Amino acid sequence: MRVIIKEWNAVAAWRWDMPDDDVCGICRNPYDSTCSKCKYPGDECPLLLGECNHSFHMHCIISWLRQESSLEKCPMCRQPFKSKSQDPVTPAPRQTQTANATPTTAT
Amino acid sequence: MALPKRIIKETERLMAEPVKGISAVPHEDNLRYFDVTIEGPEQSPYEGGVFKLELFLPDDYPMTPPKIRFLTKIYHPNIDRLGRICLDVLKGNWSPALQIRTILLSIQALLGAPNPDDPLANDVAQKWKEDQNAAIETARQWTREHAKP
Ligand SMILES: [Zn+2]
Ligand SMILES: [Zn+2]
Ligand SMILES: [Zn+2]
Repeated sequence: MRVIIKEWNAVAAWRWDMPDDDVCGICRNPYDSTCSKCKYPGDECPLLLGECNHSFHMHCIISWLRQESSLEKCPMCRQPFKSKSQDPVTPAPRQTQTANATPTTAT
Repeated sequence: MALPKRIIKETERLMAEPVKGISAVPHEDNLRYFDVTIEGPEQSPYEGGVFKLELFLPDDYPMTPPKIRFLTKIYHPNIDRLGRICLDVLKGNWSPALQIRTILLSIQALLGAPNPDDPLANDVAQKWKEDQNAAIETARQWTREHAKP
């Protein structure tokens, strides 16, 4: 006896669950809110737009790009992620907190 | 340690809008650890079975994928004896845009479409290639024996 499998019930494997209304695809917090590590939205936790037109909280996309497994690809479309702004999204050396180190002269 | 909002949101949505044939319930004492069940897809050798899995969200989730494995014994070329799953999105193809929900759907799809050319369980894949009918029959039998609802 020979059974021929005519049809596998293969459900569509996966798809992006997008677009959710204006949330970062990594932390799923709204763009006008912060990444999961920051407290205050705005300058402290800016957004970064990629050349592929996907945007993320800068902190979110940087911590993704730092993962070796990311291969520096956009989480949404898997194209190489390049920032649209002039600043390259290389994991920049952390800003040293010189402010704390400078002694303030009290008069 | 506080649970990231993303995990809370994902959990809420899994509860509010469950996926057909899939359930995922977090442990009360560890919200990163889920008890999962997946029903075997219709017209697959796993039809009629309910498979238990465990899913754990590592600390750096979603930068790294969830850790997930079958607890129920299953005869499948891409699932090994320890229940580990060979699925690209759980490894090199992980993206933080994926979610628990999408991963569980991919696993359900894998049950519907075994791929002996990309095996994890080599002996099973071998059988699958040599004598597919016999392999499918074994898979059915294991489903009846081990994956009783
Ligand atoms: Zn974010
Ligand atoms: Zn931030
Ligand atoms: Zn993109």
